[in-house]
Amino acid sequence: MAKCRTKSHGEIEYSEDVVMRFSEGLFGFESETGFLPIEVPALHPLLFLQSVQREGLCFTTLPILVIDPDYRLNLSSADLELAGLSTDRQPVIGEDVLCLAILTLHKDGPTTANLIAPLVINLRTREAVQALILDSEYSHQHVFPATEPEAICS
Amino acid sequence: MLVMRRRQGEAILIGDGVEIRILSIDGTRVKMGILAPRSVPVTAREIELVRKENLQAAETPNDASETMARLLKALPNGATPKTGEKIPEVADLGEKKDQIL
Repeated sequence: MAKCRTKSHGEIEYSEDVVMRFSEGLFGFESETGFLPIEVPALHPLLFLQSVQREGLCFTTLPILVIDPDYRLNLSSADLELAGLSTDRQPVIGEDVLCLAILTLHKDGPTTANLIAPLVINLRTREAVQALILDSEYSHQHVFPATEPEAICS
Repeated sequence: MLVMRRRQGEAILIGDGVEIRILSIDGTRVKMGILAPRSVPVTAREIELVRKENLQAAETPNDASETMARLLKALPNGATPKTGEKIPEVADLGEKKDQIL
């Protein structure tokens, strides 16, 4: 078992086959190629993606269908190849791939999800890519409705 | 914003070293050729947006459990998604599992 120091979860042990391999890294983080998914039962279905290489880097994500049950993947053939997927058809979320949206907590603002650049992880091989969905109606800052406490209480 | 009308095969020049040529037009899609010195970075606007968004997302604290819990409550499906999407394996948190972040 390998060990990894994490940003918020102390040191954890993991087996190599759990690591998601982003061969091209993420946009802005091109050299970060290995991410470890961490689940915290109390915060289900949030999934934290801890960089294996950099302790201080951990993204907070949600399965994209939780945010938008009708979300449609439209991956370019380049992205399909990077995730080791067939270029003949679009992958099915939940069957072929895990599809996650990265969340951003804006200071004094809403929490948003990036829906134009989902993380697509091949469920069979763990090859992964941060895809870029162009020509779509999705936003890179999709605002969650009713995240303010007042809205929940009223 | 400067607006110019161009036809297929025509080009515009920006400054000394940048040329943008309209290669083909197909419905709503335009294919452009860009000639620029190596020192000029050329990226689709979306890539720059996503890069900045990732940098900001990386600053999002993972231990903001109260905020996160509130966020989860506000999700359309509640905290339990009906997606049936399974995360096959995750790193084992061991005895840390029950700790709130």
